[in-house]
Amino acid sequence: MEYIVETHNLTKRFGKEIAVSALNLKIPKGEVYGFLGPNGAGKSTTLRMLLGLMRPTAGSVRIFGRDLKKDRISILRNVGSLVESPSYYSHLTSYENLEAMRKILGSPKEKIDEVLELVHLSKAADKKVKGFSLGMKQRLGIAMALLNDPKLLILDEPTNGLDPSGIIEMRNLIKRLPKEKDMTVLISSHLLSEIDQVATYVGVISKGKLIFQDSIKAMRKKAQLKIRLKVSDANNAYRSLLAKGIKTDYQDNIIYLYEQSDEAVAAVVEILVDEGYSVYRVEEEHQSLEDIFLKMTAGGDDR
Amino acid sequence: MIAKLLATDFLKIKRKGLWFLTVLGPFGVVLLQWFNYELVPGRREWLLQRSDDDWLFYLQNVNSFTPLALVLGITILTSLAASIENETNAWKQLVALPVSKMGVFLSKFTVLAFLLAVASVLLFFFTWLLGIYLDLGSVIPYAEIAKFSFYPYFASLPLLALHLWVATVSNNQGIPISLGVVGFLFTSYSFKLPDWLPWKWPSLQNQWDEPLVNVVLGICVGVILYITGMLDFARRDVK
Amino acid sequence: MISLLQSEWFKLRKSKFVFTAILLGPLITFFYALTLQPDKFGFEKIFLWEFLIAFTTLLYALHFLPLTTGILAGLICRYEHQNGGWKQLLAMPVTRNQVFLAKYTILILIALTIQLLYLLAIWTSGVLKEAEEPFPMMLLWKSIFGGWIATFPLLALQLWMSMLFKSFAAPFAVNVVFTLPAILAVNSEKFGPLYPWAQPFLMMYVSGDAENDIFFVPWEQVLTVVGGSFLIFFFGGLLYFRQKENI
Repeated sequence: MEYIVETHNLTKRFGKEIAVSALNLKIPKGEVYGFLGPNGAGKSTTLRMLLGLMRPTAGSVRIFGRDLKKDRISILRNVGSLVESPSYYSHLTSYENLEAMRKILGSPKEKIDEVLELVHLSKAADKKVKGFSLGMKQRLGIAMALLNDPKLLILDEPTNGLDPSGIIEMRNLIKRLPKEKDMTVLISSHLLSEIDQVATYVGVISKGKLIFQDSIKAMRKKAQLKIRLKVSDANNAYRSLLAKGIKTDYQDNIIYLYEQSDEAVAAVVEILVDEGYSVYRVEEEHQSLEDIFLKMTAGGDDR
Repeated sequence: MIAKLLATDFLKIKRKGLWFLTVLGPFGVVLLQWFNYELVPGRREWLLQRSDDDWLFYLQNVNSFTPLALVLGITILTSLAASIENETNAWKQLVALPVSKMGVFLSKFTVLAFLLAVASVLLFFFTWLLGIYLDLGSVIPYAEIAKFSFYPYFASLPLLALHLWVATVSNNQGIPISLGVVGFLFTSYSFKLPDWLPWKWPSLQNQWDEPLVNVVLGICVGVILYITGMLDFARRDVK
Repeated sequence: MISLLQSEWFKLRKSKFVFTAILLGPLITFFYALTLQPDKFGFEKIFLWEFLIAFTTLLYALHFLPLTTGILAGLICRYEHQNGGWKQLLAMPVTRNQVFLAKYTILILIALTIQLLYLLAIWTSGVLKEAEEPFPMMLLWKSIFGGWIATFPLLALQLWMSMLFKSFAAPFAVNVVFTLPAILAVNSEKFGPLYPWAQPFLMMYVSGDAENDIFFVPWEQVLTVVGGSFLIFFFGGLLYFRQKENI
């Protein structure tokens, strides 16, 4: 697989506190990589190091296969970013803000109108940013990030401050970009639901450590359905099922079935009734991604 | 790259009053002399009696305020320029662009040095015009006017470099402003300062009575302080 | 109101820099006073106090005090200008009048502290220089108190400007524009007494000829120039703050 971003043991220490610890991020090309973690887990610090805003205490960053330390400027030419709250010059209009960036990036002038259109700010092009709402400022920040047609787009909590329709638009935009513009997107969030709806790849960070990194499918597999059975004399019932060659789990007087087709469940219930056990409840238990995420990050707390 | 950064920086200082202050500084310095000579009847005659060379005496009067205006002007302009970036922490946006941090610093320095140069040119013209208005003599000492307008500029370059450094790395702009107030005190008492202190240099005084020494010192130390500030700025993490 | 004052002071002292700002003037005065040598100017040692006071007043009251009011006012509004602190403060059960008054009260109390530290600086330097005469306390009280009163209008204007501008430098620029002419104004018998920014110097400068038994300048000047400019700046700032919407 081709990785757009690859970090090797990336570490950042502030004084005694270790903010990011030996991170090995691998972001495959053309994916929307969701960077997930609770507040203060080290997401922003990591993104800052990816952009060369902060120097790693140890470790290295490779973007587009090149070393960030050596080729920072040429790498950044193809990176668009919005880190934490959007930065802007409040005494300038949104057009002027983009113009100030465009002069440095050297993109064509038409690009400004294009990105303003994309984030629905065309009407506010000549208004000073001072009077903007939080959502408008956020959109301007995203317009800034898209100004240079980046190959890698880094967005820190991109739906911050947006209204519901804005959030949906933003999600659609993020999903479209990899296909249409051949972009790789890295978005961070502390909300799993955000990541779940757009990301194709996930990295979970907690207390500065990467505790999970795989495709979103692999993460969902961890969140399978289970069928719970509550029966009389559960321990013996479990043994009877085992003797019949049906694989189940037994825990705290509850039997969990692996096989979940209607037929399989019906068969199990039939056997139990035949054997003289009373079946009190047959329930589905859904373990959400949220539960998994919470378990993962809670595990981080013990350290 | 530096040309692009400069174009951006000139765009950013729009509507922030930097140009206004650039004009106000030299205008104010000369206006104070107009007050000095003209506001009180008879004062002009009294001032003219005090020296043989009316033009030179007038230029010295102007120059008693030029260093003060320069020190405070540098303090204000650098702090304003830094707060444009500080307000929404635009440093992170700027440094994440394909530019070097040294380039960012150089561009800011160049813009401010340019504004101060404009102020010096204006000072030359305002001084000249008021001199003619005050009727100080038909032989206009252009070389001397130029000297009193441009030498302080070069002599104050170390202060520009120092202030830009402090302003860009300070989270609290009260720090560079307070440094400016101390600098202002030093400059007000420049006649008491030892020659090696940069705050003395804009006054063009030194023990050899040779203003050019201050100009050369200003440029050399300015370059050293500039490089120190730039390296430190580039070394720091952007928060 | 008391709790508001405490909260203002708490916010201020959290940025340790305020102590530097307070100590700056008195410390510079102290070291400057140490370098002064009366005999070089042909003064007898019995005049040591008068000599120290006269020279330091020029530095402290003319050049330092007016500019410092700007730094202090900037500091007291700094927290609110960061990350929308104004709306957080005003969303609390306090009136805008109270907020303005609390900030202003803190400012004049700090100004008084600086004045007292200045007094201490002179006293210490004089003692170190082994002054033989007794410390002219009565004379200095007039000076300290007068200088303090003279900063009232300046602090009010600077508070106004600091609320108006987000950046630190902009209100300071206003301050500079008014302070620089004071250097000329104090030399003018006609304009000096009328110019508010010259008042800290005029009211601190020890001169025996005034009939006024509390200040070194005539009562009319205190009431009209200091009092008048105070009223304009204080109520101007207060009215501005009361109708300030974009916070």
